[in-house]
Amino acid sequence: MQTNRKSLVWHIPLLLIVLVIILPILFMISNSFKTLHDSYNSILSLIPSHPTLANYITLNHQINLIRVTLNTFGMATLVTLGKISTGLLAAYAFHNFKFHGKKIVYFIFIATIFVPFTTIMIPNYLVISKMNLLNNMLGVALPQMCDAAGIMLFLKAMEKVPTSLVESARIDDIPERKILMNIIIPILKPNIISIGAIFFINSWNEYVWPTLILKDKGSFTLPLALQNYISSEGGTNFPLAMALATIMIIPPLLIYVIFQKYILNSISSSGLK
Amino acid sequence: MNTKHTLKRLAGITAIIGMAALFAGCSKSQANDKVTHITYWHVNAQTLGGASVNKLVKEFNQTHKNIKVTAKFNPNMYQGLMQNLQSAQASGKVPDVVQVGWAYTNYFSDNFKYLNPNDAAQKFDKNTNSITKNFSPKTLSFAKNANGKLVGLPYSLSTPILYINKTILKKYGIDPSELSTWQGVEKASKQIKSKSGNYGVYIQEPADTWAQQAMMLSNGAQIKSNDGKAAFNSKAGQQAYQLYQDMVVKEKTALHAPWDQGMDAFINGKVAMAFTTVAQASHIKQSANFDASAIVAPTFKGKKLTVPVGGSMLTITAQSTPQQKAAWKFEKFMYKNSSLMTWDKGTGYLPPTKTALNSTIFKTYLDKNPMIKPAVDELGNAVPWTSFPKNGLDAEQSMIDARDQILSGKNVNQTLKSAQEKINVKQ
Amino acid sequence: MLSNNIQAKEKISSRSGPVKRGKKMNIKPFFYLLPSGILISIFIGFPVLYTLYLSFFNWNLISPTKEFVGFNNYINVFTDPTNRQVMFNTLIYIGILVILNFVIPYLISIIVNFFIGKTKGPYKILFFIPSLFSLVVGAMLFSWILNPVSGPVALILRDYGMKLPQWTNSGSLAIIVICLITNWKVFGYNFILLLTGLGSIPKNIIEAAKIDGIPKWRVIWDIVLPMNKSVSVYVLILTIVEGLQYVFTPLNVITQGGPNYGSSNILYHTYLNGFVLYKTGNASALATVTFIIFLILLALEIKFVEGGRKHAD
Repeated sequence: MQTNRKSLVWHIPLLLIVLVIILPILFMISNSFKTLHDSYNSILSLIPSHPTLANYITLNHQINLIRVTLNTFGMATLVTLGKISTGLLAAYAFHNFKFHGKKIVYFIFIATIFVPFTTIMIPNYLVISKMNLLNNMLGVALPQMCDAAGIMLFLKAMEKVPTSLVESARIDDIPERKILMNIIIPILKPNIISIGAIFFINSWNEYVWPTLILKDKGSFTLPLALQNYISSEGGTNFPLAMALATIMIIPPLLIYVIFQKYILNSISSSGLK
Repeated sequence: MNTKHTLKRLAGITAIIGMAALFAGCSKSQANDKVTHITYWHVNAQTLGGASVNKLVKEFNQTHKNIKVTAKFNPNMYQGLMQNLQSAQASGKVPDVVQVGWAYTNYFSDNFKYLNPNDAAQKFDKNTNSITKNFSPKTLSFAKNANGKLVGLPYSLSTPILYINKTILKKYGIDPSELSTWQGVEKASKQIKSKSGNYGVYIQEPADTWAQQAMMLSNGAQIKSNDGKAAFNSKAGQQAYQLYQDMVVKEKTALHAPWDQGMDAFINGKVAMAFTTVAQASHIKQSANFDASAIVAPTFKGKKLTVPVGGSMLTITAQSTPQQKAAWKFEKFMYKNSSLMTWDKGTGYLPPTKTALNSTIFKTYLDKNPMIKPAVDELGNAVPWTSFPKNGLDAEQSMIDARDQILSGKNVNQTLKSAQEKINVKQ
Repeated sequence: MLSNNIQAKEKISSRSGPVKRGKKMNIKPFFYLLPSGILISIFIGFPVLYTLYLSFFNWNLISPTKEFVGFNNYINVFTDPTNRQVMFNTLIYIGILVILNFVIPYLISIIVNFFIGKTKGPYKILFFIPSLFSLVVGAMLFSWILNPVSGPVALILRDYGMKLPQWTNSGSLAIIVICLITNWKVFGYNFILLLTGLGSIPKNIIEAAKIDGIPKWRVIWDIVLPMNKSVSVYVLILTIVEGLQYVFTPLNVITQGGPNYGSSNILYHTYLNGFVLYKTGNASALATVTFIIFLILLALEIKFVEGGRKHAD
């Protein structure tokens, strides 16, 4: 009894945090169903007084929503697959091999996490341009296909694989690639899913870099389309932007709902002990 | 043997990447040898006439079978466009037609290769009639660099106007005619503040000092002297900023906030007046719940109204002759009266050509959108936006810093003096 | 754990002939590292070296002439008053980020793990949701909600006769709001990381302490926190390094570093120099200094986290 009452008190700060977290999202959704006029003049009403689908209809007229969503999905998938495969391979090398300069190579790899993106943006643009990949999804994806943070997370996850498994496989002369494919990857499946989901969500929301590379409307991604509704000079159309933001959150939310168990349970059991 | 497998795996990965490249490549339109492809870079978000740009480009492509224009939207206005252009130039693959904001006139002409409109007209029309007939000398002066050379053709023109909340003004017995001077605006703001507690006026504060320059100019100050040095630290310049500072810091009758937030406050009826660009007119009209109107920008008592012009020019950055020819054709299409009307209706900017300004379509459009009228009336008082000959972007930044310092309460005279010195060291 | 592997491999080597095996050992990891190695050298290694090179010039990246200035740009980083203010702001940012994105999530994860019984699930699910959002959306939303004159918070406060301060006009208040926006996004992620760390501490240790009558807070302070050190140092470093990158977006959307650099930090200032004023040399020197500072943090991370891990093995 007593402990129950005590723990109820602890729920108060937690519920407050939930409120702070959820309210902005509710405002986003509610504004997306308001007219521009209402969004300015009935600010506090979370339930629109004249709910309207007009913003969504306008969006659908002005941009090819399906195309833009598919573009974003394709790009995020490409980046995610790239990061997972390069990350797993590199992590396997660091985890299961002994070689000269391993520590230094690892340090250099990890150090790349700390490079500010403003440093790499222009040189990357020059490289992508030389590769003739401007205005091409691959040009957007390629520089992002390796992520040292991913290597680190996979490496930490691999530590939960019992050493004896790898050892005995080697004694049986099973080739390394099969050890990785048939032994390690199945064990790491939950980690791969959760790390992959985080990769996907981050690249889904990426906007600075694609702005530089993509130019025609046909290859736009959702965050780029969002930029189209933000303009100080002409006035930001807040409800339209919020409608687009609402559309934009649906795919990551679906991924979260589907893989929620994996994501919440193994973000950090990625070996962080 | 294991190495072989690893190699195979690698080959597999390469294949996947290659396939992806192939897919990505498919989305690109097929190149046709006979068609000249050009790209047009603009800043027009959907809320700033983006739809009009798309409509015009589509129309052009339909009527010109041997040219294909691709339009690229660049977020974050002229600054964002210049960032992208900078990267493009560094990589050697530049677009063909570009909107350049006035503040970048000298930076652009110093650092980029472009075909100036006079040369383009000579090269492809054998005369410059299309320029001299359509544009007034004054309008052309907006697009000239420090050496007096025309860099591009003026495309979007805007001037700052004073938007007013007539509902509030009526309530407190303020007649709009009292707002023709900044002193009048100050007085009215005091009245509103004391009676309602709300702010009187908001003066736009983006990452440039366009509106603040308008205030100084309208007190007879110079921003840049004839020899290209900064000259705003004059008695007149100081007075203008002093009044602004007093309203913000001492009397707390003027709102000091970023542009978006300031405009939101005006549209919400929490600020009675807003001094900002004409491009905001349609947004205000759509969203305000009160009797919104606009009047000519205030000036200082006894001084002539002078406003810097805002907006952009179209420049040709195409490098090869066929590309340049296509770009010139595209520009001429964009300056047709009907195209300009589509453009101006979509963006809220003022038409750059004499012919369009005097056309009956524009006049009927003005009658339907009275908020734009004061901006047209001001065109006679417009001067080019200050663009310092050397280190111009640095100079603009110094003026922004000075504005921020003054509005946070620092001494006006000292701040302007040190800003001016800082700019002139580099001129 | 690494050493275990090595032993295993040595055992294998001795079986199938040391020379042949040894050769292979050297070449195989190379193939596994190749894909990431290539990508990293092209898209990160080259840019870093290029930036280092550019930091010794005055150039705008496109003009035909670049002027060699030696260490001038670096001297400028440390002597220019604006740069110094920006450095100082960066420290304030780090301080606030650590409190908001590390200390508070840590406290909350302790509460959730030790004080509320079994109802953890809903909190874990809800707290994580904002991490799905783009920071552009977050910045727009919060700028609107916290508009000091006409936002919903200001309107509610007005009803109670209170006023929201003009936070955009004060550097320190703007910094706090900008940090709060990133806090909204990363709170849940960091919370989950820390909570998982706490959850993996063996229950019997805590139970034993309870039986001995040691108060709960002492158990947490003396046993739980030290045991969770490697996770917490990891989250701490992540908070600082990623946090400084994260604040960039709201900073750019809301204040552009203003008023008068009051809310700017070293990363945003690099951007301003490089992408707004096109002073590539200055920006490169700033970026290099930032990178070196980050590397020092990384060295600390390796010392504590990686070192700590080996200890626990």
